[in-house]
Amino acid sequence: MSAKAVSCTIKSAVALQIGDAVSDSSRPGVYITDITLAEPVNIQEISFKNYYSAYLTVRLQRREDSSAKWVTCLRNYCLMSNPHAEAGSHDYFSIHRHQMLTEPDNVTTVRLILRQPSSEWLNFSIEEISIYPCAKEDLERDVPAWLSTLTPVEEPLDLNGLPDPETVSSSIQQMWALTEIMQASQTAASIGRFDVEGSYDVKLLSYT
Amino acid sequence: MAEKPDSKSPKSDSDAEFVCQPEVSALLRGALLELLQSRPEDPVGFLAEHFAHLSAEAEDGAAEHRSVSRALWHLSLAHHSHRSAFNSNVRVAYELLACGPSGGGVRGRLYSEMLRSLCSEGGLSGSTAAPLLRRIQSHDYECVPFQLFRQGVLTCAVFADYIRKSQCLYAAVASAPDRPAQRTLCQAVLSTLRDALDTADRTDAARYLEASAKISPAKVAQAMAEVHPPAQRRDGPTMDAQEFEDAAAALFIARVRTVT
Repeated sequence: MSAKAVSCTIKSAVALQIGDAVSDSSRPGVYITDITLAEPVNIQEISFKNYYSAYLTVRLQRREDSSAKWVTCLRNYCLMSNPHAEAGSHDYFSIHRHQMLTEPDNVTTVRLILRQPSSEWLNFSIEEISIYPCAKEDLERDVPAWLSTLTPVEEPLDLNGLPDPETVSSSIQQMWALTEIMQASQTAASIGRFDVEGSYDVKLLSYT
Repeated sequence: MAEKPDSKSPKSDSDAEFVCQPEVSALLRGALLELLQSRPEDPVGFLAEHFAHLSAEAEDGAAEHRSVSRALWHLSLAHHSHRSAFNSNVRVAYELLACGPSGGGVRGRLYSEMLRSLCSEGGLSGSTAAPLLRRIQSHDYECVPFQLFRQGVLTCAVFADYIRKSQCLYAAVASAPDRPAQRTLCQAVLSTLRDALDTADRTDAARYLEASAKISPAKVAQAMAEVHPPAQRRDGPTMDAQEFEDAAAALFIARVRTVT
């Protein structure tokens, strides 16, 4: 996957708690993180690193004909098979387009809802979130011109009366290689012909 | 019968004793190291020259002409493609010619003389070598540092090989040894070489791939067939060997950096 991640703003997670957040000492079991995208994107995949989150729900806000609609594209996706145990707690995940319930096209905001029912863990979150857009159809690589002319398709040439191309090519190749050796050995060293105590002297220049 | 071993043994004893002396064994060790490094085709002749140079050095320290010929001898020991041996020979030659008291570096006159001798020993005529020497030689009073010395020596050695190759190329292009080559063919061949040399400066690997694609046998055959359609293969103006060699030399020399 060579596409670059789309730039996005990840807001800090908001905990869902019952009761007063300040006085109540129980730890929250749900965190919600919003990610806003600069412009509507067709999402190819979302990748992230888990940190002790057990279940993930992903909701997308899509821009559809000047109205914004929220849809759920992933419901209770299991990140940790046993919320009390370590398995999957630090894993890297990648949610691909075809795993989603709806087409993630023209997405403006992504909402990640993290759930961790176990009381084992003090904190849980997901990190290193990257959103990758769909690759463009006409992604062209620069194919050098000489590469396409390597295997000529025309009919075989009439070489009657011409010198042997193998011998000629071999000599040319050696001459080319010798010139390359010479060029590679060129240094920037100088005699200092025009230097006078480290600088050029105009009078000396005029003599040569 | 009993006498022979007696008459032989004193002589062989003294020979063995002579070789076992520390100075002699050090000399032999040095000579063998040089021999192993350069691997000449005539090892005995090489050893003879080596010891001759050593004795000449012992007699008369700094006769200039002798030092130039000694430097040339060292440079002739290894072909430039044997890179490490060639480099160490260049270092030895440099130290032979360097003028210690005046700030280290080879005096320009000696350097230019050495380059001229290198070119003539490489089989280059004066007229072929002249444009190259104009670019790389120094004035008599100038002092040449090691990097430049090495570059100049390597350039002359490589140029000699290059001219030899261009002579082989001319022979390949000419249809018969006694007949000159067709001018159009010569020009086509030289222009494929020029194209390859002019390949744009990208990364080394990409540049080598592109250049080698331009001088593959198929490309060369195509270039030759284009300028020489089957109908007119026999006649047409010709180019003689010297003109071809000069044109090829010009391609090389154009890429040699002028010394300043």
